[in-house]
Amino acid sequence: MTRSPPPVAKPYTTAAHTNGYEFTQGGGYVLPEYPFVPPPELTHTGPLRRHPVVIVGGGISGLTLACSLARLGLPAVLLDEDNTVGVKGASSRGICYTQKSLEIFHRLGIYERIAAKGVQWSVGRTFAGNDEVVRFDLREQDSFNLSAQPPFINIQQFYIEGFLVERIQTLGHVDLRWNNRLVAFEQTAEGATLTVDTPAGRYQIQADHVVDATGSASPLRKWLAVPFDSQRGDDRWCIADVRFTTHPPVERHTWIEAPFNDNRAVWQHLMADDVWRIDYQMAPDADPAYVSREDVVRERLARQFGPDVGVDIVWVGPYAYRSECVHHMRAGRVYFLGDSAKVVSPFGARGGNTGVSDADNLAWKLATVLRGLAAPALLEAYHAERHSAAVENVRVTGRTARFLRAPEGVERLFRTAAISLARQQPFARALINTGRMAVANPYPHSPVCAKDTGTSVQNVGFQWPDDTTGCLNDLLGWSGIRLLLLVFTPTLSPALCKTLVSLTTLTPVSAVHVLPAATRTAPTPERKTPPPHMAAEHLIDHLGHLRQACGVSEAQGDNHTTPWALVRPDGYLVGRGHGLDGNLVDTIALALAISPLDDPHSTT
Amino acid sequence: MITTLQLTDADGFYERLLDAHAGLDKAQSDLLNARLILILANQVGNAQVLADCIAAARNGVTGH
Repeated sequence: MTRSPPPVAKPYTTAAHTNGYEFTQGGGYVLPEYPFVPPPELTHTGPLRRHPVVIVGGGISGLTLACSLARLGLPAVLLDEDNTVGVKGASSRGICYTQKSLEIFHRLGIYERIAAKGVQWSVGRTFAGNDEVVRFDLREQDSFNLSAQPPFINIQQFYIEGFLVERIQTLGHVDLRWNNRLVAFEQTAEGATLTVDTPAGRYQIQADHVVDATGSASPLRKWLAVPFDSQRGDDRWCIADVRFTTHPPVERHTWIEAPFNDNRAVWQHLMADDVWRIDYQMAPDADPAYVSREDVVRERLARQFGPDVGVDIVWVGPYAYRSECVHHMRAGRVYFLGDSAKVVSPFGARGGNTGVSDADNLAWKLATVLRGLAAPALLEAYHAERHSAAVENVRVTGRTARFLRAPEGVERLFRTAAISLARQQPFARALINTGRMAVANPYPHSPVCAKDTGTSVQNVGFQWPDDTTGCLNDLLGWSGIRLLLLVFTPTLSPALCKTLVSLTTLTPVSAVHVLPAATRTAPTPERKTPPPHMAAEHLIDHLGHLRQACGVSEAQGDNHTTPWALVRPDGYLVGRGHGLDGNLVDTIALALAISPLDDPHSTT
Repeated sequence: MITTLQLTDADGFYERLLDAHAGLDKAQSDLLNARLILILANQVGNAQVLADCIAAARNGVTGH
């Protein structure tokens, strides 16, 4: 398939602000625009063109999937209904990106831009009235401190989307089609047919796999009558994205009962360009038009920050949230991604980050199956793994919403009791729920992970023999769509070496020899031309972080066992063991859905 | 969940519980009870035992 070079949009360095107040409208930022290029199908005659993967929707989830496929060299088409990132008229959406998302963006090659543009934070403080009742510093928590990426970076969502677009344009493989709106869809056993409207006319294409990344108002879900659960509350909020003449601390502040907001909740969070997100909980019967009126917003801000603080209003948006979750993340050839699959309240940054992980989970599965390295059953495991994550995120955010919108009566009574106790007894601070920050969801019941695995391995660092440093993502970048086998042993005997050569030749596995910290000699046998899927060099786990992140016990060093860990292209651990034996072979088959799915844990 | 006697001074506890509410209005009394439930729950700690206790308490109110 030939394709003309991708159109290159003018990269933007920084978003310009309008100082004017935009009532529930965009315009606070100037978003990049991408040119419409008439697709070849518009003038093509003959049978419909068939694409292995068509992604519908160019938000953060769809673009992450597109960029992941591009990195893995898999061709795909992405349809987006407008010509920009962000939502026209609503430029401010997600702002808070987790370590796991940042690790994924690092693998995709846009992390440095995010880190340069965004703001790192790790301290969160929660107040009730004028008292601080809870304080945390994520850097002090073990679950965050092994990675090369920080616990969180805050940045406006459209920046990440713009970086992804430019990265995809550099990588190639994915055809980004702006101003291409999906208007009809049907699927049969033979394939899916998509009807697309463009400014230059209507066309049809066929696809083997279709990814619905159209978001919370998904047309595909309606057309396919996909069943879902839904819950809608009466909680109302109003966001004001502002710039100040003063600089609040680089911390996340939340008030459960803010004296300056009629004892309702307030969020104070930061992002790029010195813009602060101040999110006010409103009365349940509040009129959205009134609470987002400029004079009302300014009066509210003055009550919080004082009358003398100069405020530029970048963007204002009143909102109510609902929670929804589909029963199944796949309908025939269609996979639901991000907000198409589930929507949650914004507490804990569990919306966009979940979409990014959905994309990372699906990308390598599509690539591996389409390349014939894994069984098609692997695609069904997308549902098993990511639906459990969606359900968990709906549950966790629902608990936060219930705490924050505690109705008068017994729910308010227990919240008042918890707040009053939190001031006096440490245990009660655990009951204060202003959002449980998103994590890399584990997959304890995954049909394609061995027992006690299915956990995300942090992007830990190590040393190469020449003392330069590397990280897990370097290895994942090298192994691509193959599984990554880490062999923890001080000495790779000729027999072990022979086994690894066979294994990496016969199965889609790439192997790396990991030396424990103490060993500084070069024990890997010298080879003029190393086998293609064995790393030419060993690496040194100088701090033991790689072993720790994979949950491999420290009992390495004797030559009777050879501890190993098997990591998937999405950085999840699928198995570990103590010898290059049948268990390893079974685990490889399990991870690629080649073994029967009915009893996955029989391999241990 | 334990249903046999654990209290070292049942009558004394009961009296102390009532006395703690002396002079409080309804709202204060409710708050005291809620605080007490949370404090006691933390003494118990175990999630399954607490779930059994909550179910047992509700059972006596609704009959199921």
